[in-house]
Amino acid sequence: MNKVIFFFALSLISIHTYSQTTVIRGGEIHTGLNEEPFVGDILIEGDTILEVSRNALKGDLIIDAANSIITPGVIAPDTQIGILEIGALSETRDGDSNMYSMGFSVYDAINPNSTLIPWNRSNGVTSAITLPDFNWDPLSGMASYFLLDGSLRVNGIPDIALTGEIGAISSGSRAESLILLKDLLEFASNLSEKDISSSMKISEAMESFEVAELMELQPRDVIALYNLLNKKLPLIINVNRASDILKLIDIKKLYGLNLILMSAQEAELVKNEIAKNSIPVIINPFDNIPDSFDELASSIRIAASLEEAGIKVMFSESRTHNYHLIRQGAGNAVANGMSYTGAIMALTSNVAKSFNIPDRGILQKGMKADIVIWEDDPLEPSTFPEKVFINGNDMDLTTRSSRLTKRYTDKRDLPNTYK
Amino acid sequence: MKKLFLVVFSLTLIINSFPAFESTYKPLESEKVLFINGNILDGEGNEFLNTDLFINDGKIVAIGQGISVDDEDVKIINAKNKWITPGIIDIHSHMGVYPAPSVRTSSDGNEATSPVTAEVWAEHSMWVQDPQYSLALKGGVTTFHVLPGSANLIGGRGVTVKNLQRNTIQSMKYPNAKHSLKMACGENPKRVYGNRGQAPSTRMGNFAGYRKAWIEAENYLDKLEAYDSKTDEDKMIESPPKRDLRLDTLSDVLKDEILVHIHCYRAEEMALMIDIAKEFNYKITAFHHGVEAYKIADLLADNGICGALWADWWGFKHEAYDMVQANIAIVDQARGGKGCAIVHSDDERGIQRLNQEAAKARAAGNKAGYDISKARAINWITSNPAKAAGIYSETGSLVVGKNADVVLWSGDPFSVYSLAEQVFIDGALAFNRNTGFGPVSDFDVGIVDPREDRVNE
Repeated sequence: MNKVIFFFALSLISIHTYSQTTVIRGGEIHTGLNEEPFVGDILIEGDTILEVSRNALKGDLIIDAANSIITPGVIAPDTQIGILEIGALSETRDGDSNMYSMGFSVYDAINPNSTLIPWNRSNGVTSAITLPDFNWDPLSGMASYFLLDGSLRVNGIPDIALTGEIGAISSGSRAESLILLKDLLEFASNLSEKDISSSMKISEAMESFEVAELMELQPRDVIALYNLLNKKLPLIINVNRASDILKLIDIKKLYGLNLILMSAQEAELVKNEIAKNSIPVIINPFDNIPDSFDELASSIRIAASLEEAGIKVMFSESRTHNYHLIRQGAGNAVANGMSYTGAIMALTSNVAKSFNIPDRGILQKGMKADIVIWEDDPLEPSTFPEKVFINGNDMDLTTRSSRLTKRYTDKRDLPNTYK
Repeated sequence: MKKLFLVVFSLTLIINSFPAFESTYKPLESEKVLFINGNILDGEGNEFLNTDLFINDGKIVAIGQGISVDDEDVKIINAKNKWITPGIIDIHSHMGVYPAPSVRTSSDGNEATSPVTAEVWAEHSMWVQDPQYSLALKGGVTTFHVLPGSANLIGGRGVTVKNLQRNTIQSMKYPNAKHSLKMACGENPKRVYGNRGQAPSTRMGNFAGYRKAWIEAENYLDKLEAYDSKTDEDKMIESPPKRDLRLDTLSDVLKDEILVHIHCYRAEEMALMIDIAKEFNYKITAFHHGVEAYKIADLLADNGICGALWADWWGFKHEAYDMVQANIAIVDQARGGKGCAIVHSDDERGIQRLNQEAAKARAAGNKAGYDISKARAINWITSNPAKAAGIYSETGSLVVGKNADVVLWSGDPFSVYSLAEQVFIDGALAFNRNTGFGPVSDFDVGIVDPREDRVNE
C-alpha cells in the first residue's frame, strides 16, 4: 500500500514538473532565422519551445522580458571548451592523441566541471563544438558537440565532424599534404560497409592501400574515414590561402565531401567559388592581421564580403577561454558591413545547420529551449545576459570570476580568505 | 697637456652617454580644424556634449561652445552626433618587434639568451614596414609604446613612438620621451631559463636575479658618481670606469631617467616587486597584465603604480587564472578613485579596438557596483597611458596647449559599432576613413595584386 502511494505521489510530481510551462513575455525576439526581429512571447514546456508568437501566450510562469532582447543560445563552432583548463599546462589539455588520427574522439575527455563552461555560459554560449588539436595533418581527429549545462553526464553528440589542416608548414610541402589528403580519401572511397565490419576486414582493406600503412592507421581511424564519406560527416579544414581553398573545393567535388572551411582568411578572393559550392565558412571577425604568407589578403571586410556572396558564415575566437567574445566579433562584423540578422544567424542557426544539429540554434516551435535573454544589444560587448536557458532550464550564472569579484569588492575589514 | 685634455674630454662624453638614436620626428603638415557640435570626452574626466574643438599649429587651441574662427583657411568638420576623444595610447605593444607576418626571421622581441639583457633596446629590433601600425591607426591609436618581450627578468629598453609610419625608427620616435625598462615576473623567465637547466628556474630564482642585477647597478652608479665627483686634475690621471651598456640602462633607472614597466600577474609577486623597488630606491611606473591586480588595488594606489591590464584575458597560464572582468575598474576605483588603470593590448588585434576593451571593463565594473562614467573610463586608454609613458604633459588629453592628437568617432566610442573616422596626430590628418586617406606600408604595396595595396578597407 505504502509503495502504491509513494508511486502515485512520485507520478504526481513528475506530471507537475513536465506540465509546468514558462512564457518569456514581450521581448524583442531574434529567431536566428533570416527574418526581422519582432516583439512577442515564447512558450516553453520542459526542454522544448512550444510556441513563438507575436501574440501574448499563456503559461504557468511568466518571465517579463519587456525591453530585453531574446536570441537563441550562442553555439560556439570551434572551441576547446571542456578539454583545456590552462593553456600552458599540458596536463590540463586533452586535445592530442599519440595513438590515433582521424578516429581520435575528444568526447570522453570533456570535463563538465571546467571553469570555462560556466564562464562562457554566463556570457550567452549554450553549446559548443570542441575540436582536437590541429597537428598539420590534412586529416586528424573528430570534433564533438555538447551542451554547456554542466551536467556530469555530458549531454551532447560525440564525433559530429572530422578535422584537418592544409597550408604552410615549416618542413615539407603543402603539395604533400594535398596528395596525402587525396590518397586518404581515395582509400576511404574504396571502403565498403563490409570492409569495416571487423578488425580483420579492416586490416585486409588497409593492406591494399599504402597510405593506410604509411599513416599507421588504426581500425577506428579507418571507420572514421568511412563515416566521413558515407555518413557525410562535416569536415572542418583549417586553411587560409586562396589557392589552397580552391584545391579543397576540387577535392570536395570529387569525393562529395561535406566541407566546412575554417579561418579561411583569404576566402574573399575566392568567395564566388565557395558560394557556388555551398561551403560554410568559420571566420575570426577580429583577425585582419597578415600573420603568415598564407593570410596576406586578410581583411576586416571578410564577414560582410562572404555574407554578400551568399556564404553561410560562422564566427570563431582564437582564445577558447573567452570564446563568448564571438559576440563582440559579430558586433565588429556588423560595424564593418555585415547585416545584423546575418550576424545573429552566424552565432546560432548557421552553426546548427552546418553541423547537422537538428533541434537547436533557432527560436521556433519544436526546437530545444536554448534561449538567452539579454539586457540590451547582444552584439555590444558591454551587454550581459539576464537569463540563460539550456534545454528549458533557467541556468545559474554564477562563475568563479563573479565569486572572486564579490570577494574583492567586499569592503569588510577581513582577510579575503574569510570573505 | 692639450692632448691629454682632449682624451679626457672624449672619455667624459662617453660616460655621459651621448644621446643615441635621437628622435628626428617631424609631424605631417598640420591643419586648422574646427570641429563643431561634437560630443567630447577630454581624457581629464569631462564629457562635453555639443561642443566645439579648435586645433591649429599642431596644438589644441580651444574647447567650448560656439567657437568662431575668423579665418578662411579653417577646415570645419561637422561633428554633430559624433564623438571626439584624445588619440588612443597603447602602453604595451610589440608591433615592429613582433611584426606581421610573424616569421622567425623578423620575430625580434625577446633576446632570450640571458636572464638580464638590460643592454638591448626594442627600437633596434623594430621593423618600420610592419603592416600592423596602420591597422592600429584605424582604431584611433596615435601613440604606442613598444616593449621587449617577457622571456627575461630584465628584457631591455622600451620606446614610445608616434603612429606615423616612416622609413627610420628615429623618425617615428616620440621626441624626448623617456625609455622604459621592461622587467618580467613569474612563469615566463623561469620557464625559458629553467628549461635550459640554468637560473632562474623558480620564482625565488627570479627574485634573486633582479636583486643581483640591482646590486651591480648600484655599484656601477657608485663608481660613476665617485669618478664624477673627482677634481678635474684627478680625472686627468685616473681613467673613468669602463662603460657597460647593461649597467648604463639599470643605473639610468636608479637616476630616475627610465620608467620601470613590469610584466607581472600574481598579486604577491607585485607586492614583492614593490619591496625590491624600495630596497634599491627606484620607482615602478606600471605593472602590466596584472590579472590579479584587483587583489592588491589599494597597494598599487598607495604606491602610485598604474595597472596596465586586459579587459578579460585569462587562462592561458596558471598565473592568469584568477581573472575578474572588474579588474580594471577595481584598480581604477582603489582608495576612492586614486587608482591608475590602463587598458593595454599586448596584441595586434586588441590594439585596433582598445575603446571596446575599455567599454567591456567599464560595463563589468558597473555591474560589480561601481558607477564609472565614460568620461572616466576613456582615461584608461588616453591620459593614464600617457602618464605611464611620461608624455602626459604633451598629449593624452584634450587640453588647450597640448598636442592635437585627436580621434573623431562615428558614434559613442564605447559602442562596438563606432569606428574612428578621422585621426589627427599633432594636428595633422593621419587617417580619414571616408576618403581612404592613410598610410600604406611598403610591405602592403602590391603584395597580393601587384596593381593594388594589400587591403583596401
